[in-house]
This record gives sequence, structure tokens and C-alpha cells, in this order.
Amino acid sequence: MLRLEHIGKLFGAHRAVDDVSLTLDAGTIVAVVGENGAGKTTLMRIAAGELAPDAGRVASRGGVALVHQHFVLVNELTIAENLALGIDFRFATRRALERRAEAVIAESGIALTNVQRRVEMLSVGEKSKLELIKAIATKPSTLILDEPTAVLTPHEAEELFRVMRRLAASGTAVTFISHKLPEVMAVAERVVVMRGGRLVLDTRASDTNAESLARVMVASPPSPPPAHERARGEVALDREGLVLHAGEIVAVVGVAGNGQTELAARLRDALPDAGHIPEDRTRDGIVAAMTLAENLALKASRWNPRAAAKHAETMIALYSIRARGPLQRAGDLSGGNQQKLVLARELERKPRVIVAAEPTRGLDLEATRFVHDQLRAAAANGAAILLITSDLDEAFALADALHVIYRKKLSERLGRAEAAARVGKLMAGVA
Amino acid sequence: MKRLLIAAAAACVALLLLALSALAFGHDPRELLAILVRGSVGSPFAIAGTLLKSVPLLLTGLSVAIAFRAGVWNIGGEGQFIAGALAGLLGARYGVIVSLLAAMLAGAAWASLATAMRLWRNAPEVLTTILLNFIAIHLLGWCVNGPLQERAAQYPQTDAAAATLPALGSVHFGVVLALAASIGSWWLLYRTAEGLRLRATGLNPSAARWAGIRVSAQLARAMAVSGAAAGLAGGIELLGVTHRLFERFAAGYGYAGIAVALLAQLHPLAVVASALFFGALTTGAGELQRTAGISSGVATLGQAVVILVLIGVDYVRTRR
Repeated sequence: MLRLEHIGKLFGAHRAVDDVSLTLDAGTIVAVVGENGAGKTTLMRIAAGELAPDAGRVASRGGVALVHQHFVLVNELTIAENLALGIDFRFATRRALERRAEAVIAESGIALTNVQRRVEMLSVGEKSKLELIKAIATKPSTLILDEPTAVLTPHEAEELFRVMRRLAASGTAVTFISHKLPEVMAVAERVVVMRGGRLVLDTRASDTNAESLARVMVASPPSPPPAHERARGEVALDREGLVLHAGEIVAVVGVAGNGQTELAARLRDALPDAGHIPEDRTRDGIVAAMTLAENLALKASRWNPRAAAKHAETMIALYSIRARGPLQRAGDLSGGNQQKLVLARELERKPRVIVAAEPTRGLDLEATRFVHDQLRAAAANGAAILLITSDLDEAFALADALHVIYRKKLSERLGRAEAAARVGKLMAGVA
Repeated sequence: MKRLLIAAAAACVALLLLALSALAFGHDPRELLAILVRGSVGSPFAIAGTLLKSVPLLLTGLSVAIAFRAGVWNIGGEGQFIAGALAGLLGARYGVIVSLLAAMLAGAAWASLATAMRLWRNAPEVLTTILLNFIAIHLLGWCVNGPLQERAAQYPQTDAAAATLPALGSVHFGVVLALAASIGSWWLLYRTAEGLRLRATGLNPSAARWAGIRVSAQLARAMAVSGAAAGLAGGIELLGVTHRLFERFAAGYGYAGIAVALLAQLHPLAVVASALFFGALTTGAGELQRTAGISSGVATLGQAVVILVLIGVDYVRTRR
């Protein structure tokens, strides 16, 4: 059993977890769902004692084991050796390690053979089994799994669910983080929804369904939205089943991981002249080691340091980027200011088409409003904007029409009123 | 700027360590340093020797620096140097200019083989360029023992090239070409939009792609320019110094370029100073061998120590 009381956690100015209280009971399977950046992983790392909370307290009876989304295994060592890490022993022969590993695996009830194989030879599914065995071997009273099925085949996932049910039946508190609502509904007895660092719903699984969970995850769509069709211009983009007219904003919404990233990358390669705002701005939006002036000039036809610095100063003022000057390293800017830098570069040349992926993810309110205003202004000036977002509030705040993406497939084009009625079902894949 | 100061300090530390190595040969470290200095800059003759050694180092150093700036590990300077020299020899009958242009083209083409393998099969340049070195070395060996062997057919070497670089005092015109190449590379990298994009590609290829930069085109171009610099080095060495080709013609200049570029922190202008440092070390080491009987391998030792010191400094800096 594990109790979290009024937990808060700040990363810089970003409130990752905000006053969350939660009790994980022995023998119950709990699913924690929410968007990227909702604070699920942070909360679970606090529960496992990996992060210290800034506020609140954690009380636990018995050990807590957290299985990370990413593998924490030593590739060069064998299965047996990986299972021996962290175990206190003085001297052991290879044979003894292997016998011990086989015993641990047998006890866990998970099928994994040939413990003398090196981890780098294992399939992804086998590696995640090994992670799970490692966690179970510590006999935790609370077991937390961070997106355990992300890399599993459906068959492997079924096997995992059987293990989770058995552990719960024997009195372990089992908690898992997931994006996939169908599996949440199939496995969990209790569902907890996080949004923007807060716990927004805590319910028995039998009292809810995938559709309403999807709606809670991404905040409720507004009640019948104002019908405001902008005057449509000519067709500016016709690709991937998306038709965009000049001057309109069309949103592609969906739970993260349903093909949005791939869609944005395909559009990037197909439309070199469009403005592209990548979803991972730190990795894809800026060159961290270069200055602001250099980052702003990446698409320019000429480069002259002095002229570029002068130009950068104009852009810093125009886009209210908080920076020491044009020669500051872009990597030193805060997330919001990095995004303004990307906007400045991508919007400056007034492209006819703009593809913006998760343009406000992780940004504070002020920066979010700024980004939204810039996108609206660009549309008013005749750009066709494709907004790829997992934030429904954002989609309804900006878009003239929506598509839902689910398992890499786009729905038909939905008007705002129709979208408000159907988007939850479509996002959960239950329509 | 700060990085260059650190590099200069690393060079000094390397020199001191090298001097201490004299103890292993039973010499006084101060004496070793004195001979090194005298042998490299102690007389007009020594200075000319240093300059001559520095020219190929400067160009192969530039070659490595340009490729590394784009994020490509071109370890193939040695092979591109040889390819350049071979083409230079064949082109020499049409004069110096044609010969050097052929050398640059051949170096670029040899390097571009690695690009082609990257684009077709995603083969890493670190491997392909180094393997292309071996092919070039054996190609040269075959040439000087076969189709290109001197008419006298006595030694495994070619006849003298039909053209010679104009002399410039006791050095040759290659000194000017190398300096011009250094300034030209600086201008390309730091004063043109394409240079900016090349550097962006090297620092963050993913962000470069999102900014609309054609990453594979940048890599291909960087590799070609890099190969051209190494090929030019081979052509200049042929027309200015050796005048003929023989099996050990490349003499490690391609590999030494890596040390030159790293010491210069990949900056094309700093490569000049770095090449002079290593050039002086090489000529000084020759003097050590002649007067003190210490192996001229000390120069190679010096290169290794510089790189190790730089890696050590980087390690300490990133750990903090």
C-alpha cells in the first residue's frame, strides 16, 4: 500500500505535479492515464522515491518498484548478470548466478529462457519481460509500470496483463501508466486521470468508459462552439487526405502516439517551402549550440553576422523573445522563448502553408496565448495552417475544422459542431 | 576563443610531457626541448623545413575540420591525399594549374565514394573512409610497381612529374595556396548561408532537417570539399616537394590532419597555427634523430599526447 498526500513538484517555473493525493491499495490494479506532460511519470517517480517532492509526503508500507518506460539494462551483460545487479553478494560463480536467475524467473511466473544470453541479443518484448522480472524479484508491495505495453505485441501484452492480475490477486498494489484506453478499460479496476499536473478524475473502471476518459484527459470540448466560418481562399494544401484552403486553420487531434509525429515528418519532407513547427522543439526546433542570430538565419539566402545580428534584434522585439541579445546561445533560452524563436524563423517569410505540431506543449499561459495569437494572425493574412495537437482545448480555440487521427488513420473532416459531438469517441477508437 | 586558449595550453602541456619522455631515452628534458626548438625554428633552413612540413598538414587539417563541422567523420585523408597526388601526376603534363585541379577533383571523388556508400547502404563514413585509405595505398603501390613505374624500371617509384610548383624563396608556392585555402574555408563556413547550414547540420542534423535544410546534400558537399582539400595537399606535396610518387608517399599526413584539426578546435584559421605547431614538431624531431639519436617517432608521440590532453581537458570540462 502506498499513500501520496498533497504532492507538488516544480521543474523551474513549470508545475509538473500540483497538489495530488492518491492512495494505491493492495490487491488493486490502478491505471494512471493522461496526456504527455500531464505529470504521470513525475508523480510515479515521486511515489517510487526516485524524485523528492517539493510539497506533500509519501507514505508506503513495503517496497515500491518502478519499471521505467525505457530499458534500464546493461546490454553487454547476460540475463543472469543483469538480475544479479543490485543484489548483495560477495562471490558467485557464473553457474550459481544462472541457477539463481532461473529460480527468480520461475518464481515470477514469466516465461524467459536461456539466461546466459546477453541482453543485446534479446527482442524488445524479452527485454521488457526482464525488466518486469527484475522489479518483481524485489518482492515489492507496490509495483508501478510506466507505459508497459508501448513496445509489446498484442500477444505479449496479454501475457503481461495475466502477470499483473496474478500479482494483484496475491496482494500487490499494481499501478500502470498508459495512453491506450482500450487496454485501460480491459485491465484496470480503478482509473486515475491526470491533466496539467492535477488529478482530475479518480473512478472505478466499471463506472466509466473509454470515450468519457478521452474527454477528461484532454479537457472537455466547449459546448456548441460559435459558428464562425472564415471566408475560404483557394486550396493551399492537398495531401495525405487533408485539404486546406488559404486562410483557414484545420486541426488534427488525437491521443499522442497515433501517427501524428509521422504525419508531421512526411509533410516536412513533402513541403520544403512551408513553415514547420516541430513538436520536439528542443531537439528539432533549434540548434542549441548556435546563437539566436544563427538560428534565425537557417532559412535565409544570405548570411552576414552583422546584418544577421541586427535582424535578430528586430525579431527578438517583434516576437518578444526574452533573451540577452542576438548572440546568446539558443539552448540557453527557456522553452517558451525557444518556441518563439522557432515561430519567428518559420513565420517570418510568410509561408502559404504552416504545419504546427503541438505548438504549445509545455508552455506557460502567456507563451501559449502568444503562439495562438501568432497562428491566428498568420491565418488572417492568408496562410493555411495545419495544427496537429493532442490538446482539444487548443484545437477548438483555433480551428475552423478538425480531423481525428487514430491508429495512423485520419477521420473525415469535421465541422466544429460535429467535432464537439464526436471527437471523444473517435479519439478513443470506439466510434 | 576560450576553447582556442585551452587548446594552446594543451599544446604546451603536450610539449612538456614530451620533454619529460626524454628521461626514458636517458636525456635531459631541457636538452630535448632545446634541440626541438633549434631544429624547427633555429635557422632559416629549419624554418623552411617547418613550413614545407606544415603545408600538407594545414590542408589535411582543413579537410578534417570541414568534414567534422558537418558532422561527418572523414578519417580518409590519407587515401584522398594519395588519390590527389596520383591525379596530379597524370595532370602535370598539362601544367601546374591543371595538375592541382585534377588533384582536388580526385580527392573529392575519392571522398565521395564514402558518401555514395552512406546514401546507398547507410555505411558509416568512419569505416568506409578508413577502408578507402587501404585501397588507395595499395593502388599507389601497384601503380609505382606497374603502369606508372619510372622508365628506368629500377626503383618502385614514378618518373618526376612534368610540372613543378613555382619556388618562393626556399619554399614553394604551396604555402600561399594553403593559406588561401584556410581563409577560403573560413569564409565558406562563417560568412556564407550555406556554411551556416553546414554547421547547423553538424551540430543538430534533426533540427537542420526541420529547418528545411537538405541534410544529405550538405553531407555530400562537405565530404567533397573535405576530400578536395586533402587531394590538393597530395598534389602540392608531389609538385612542390617529392616530385615523384613512391609507396610511402603519404607518410601519414592524412592521419596527422586529425590531430591538426582537433588541436585547432575545428576552426579553419586556427588550423594554420596548429599545422605550424605540428610541422615544427616534425622537423624538430628530425633534428633529434640526427643529433641526439632519439627516434623521430617522437613527433608521432607528440601528436598522440596532444590529442590525449585535449580529450582529458574536454572530459574535465564536461564533467563539471
